[in-house]
Amino acid sequence: EIALCPNNHEVHIYRKDGAKWSKVHELKEHNGQVTGIDWAPESNRLVTCGTDRNAYVWTLKGNIWKPTLVILRINRAARCVKWSPKENKFAVGSGSRLISICYFEQENDWWVCKHIKKPIRSTVLSLDWHPNNVLLAAGSCDFKCRIFSAYIKEVEERPSPTPWGSKMPFGELMFESSSSCGWVHSICFSASGARVAWVSHDSTLCLADANKKMAVASLCTETLPLLAVTFITENSLVAAGHDCYPMLFTYEESQGALTFGGKLDVPKQSSQRGLTARERFQNLDKKASSDTANATLDTLHKNSISQISVLAGGKANCSQFCTTGMDGGMSIWDVK
Amino acid sequence: TGDALRAFHTALRSSPVNSKNQAMKEQAQGTMLKVLTSFKSSEIEQAVNSLDRNGVDLLMKYIYKGFEKPTENSSAILLQWHEKALAVGGLGSIVRVLTARKTV
Repeated sequence: EIALCPNNHEVHIYRKDGAKWSKVHELKEHNGQVTGIDWAPESNRLVTCGTDRNAYVWTLKGNIWKPTLVILRINRAARCVKWSPKENKFAVGSGSRLISICYFEQENDWWVCKHIKKPIRSTVLSLDWHPNNVLLAAGSCDFKCRIFSAYIKEVEERPSPTPWGSKMPFGELMFESSSSCGWVHSICFSASGARVAWVSHDSTLCLADANKKMAVASLCTETLPLLAVTFITENSLVAAGHDCYPMLFTYEESQGALTFGGKLDVPKQSSQRGLTARERFQNLDKKASSDTANATLDTLHKNSISQISVLAGGKANCSQFCTTGMDGGMSIWDVK
Repeated sequence: TGDALRAFHTALRSSPVNSKNQAMKEQAQGTMLKVLTSFKSSEIEQAVNSLDRNGVDLLMKYIYKGFEKPTENSSAILLQWHEKALAVGGLGSIVRVLTARKTV
């Protein structure tokens, strides 16, 4: 099953039956564009956030998804949301230049939130949790990738030390990058949590390695900016963006270097058919050229890819991932 | 050719990216334009190939800076440099000209 937002105030859930996808639910509660959706696999709860500055936790009761409002206490749009690995907290990034960490308060039967503010100076675009359920990586429009502690004593034990540090009070800044010159669109911890990678709008991919004293490796790509990135093994990443195809990158630990590993896409299909005289004339009129080249993209996605999700194998040994894009298309890729 | 190549690398190495001194930047830009113009068309590709990734990005910045104030012949020459730099740096190098905080 997948939950998606067709670029409006609603969330639609589709179920796959054999080879066919059919819509099974429509979740209508938001008063503005839904900007983030995350589905917690263990507890089977959905969390959504939107431009209406709200978040809702959805629970399946019988055959109906029931929403519970979560007050985020923000005065700008929410932009992204992620359940923590243990699913007892979720984080929301917003245009209010802060992150809302939300958890359920048993006594009051109510979701409450705490804010992480300093030193974020612009919209938080992307979030990813460390496997220890405490550390949270955030990518922001102020060009920085940061790792914070989102430790909530009400719901968990004090965390044991990690390569990112040992003292983790709530809101503690464990790491802050300084290299990029562009909005950080997407951020991802490796399966072990010892590495974090991010892509930014200046067409760069960066990786910070906690086992190397948080040294940052960066790669200036030859492509248009990337919008999404994920680890598929501890040393390899898949990223995609405005060039509309996913690409592979590898991290070489000893040299601390990132390298481009190639473009991943379906090979070009049939040959170009010839143009009729009429089409040629139309091309000449519209584009001042009767050349057929570059008329359409030969990539699978016909518009920018905005999200990559690991489907099978986890971030340690991904065997299948999914890309979704602004062309409204979803493609599933097998990793060989 | 050897002289032009040496001048090229020197101009790139001593570029005032980190400074806020406008006069210095303008002078550097003028020098760079002279160096770029002194190359024969057939030598441009080799010069671009002698650069590392950061060098190509820096060259792109100078090319676009040069486009801003065209002189009689400058744009034509800069376009030749642009074609070769683009082949090596890709669209990413142009994106970084647009997003750069430190200008030439």
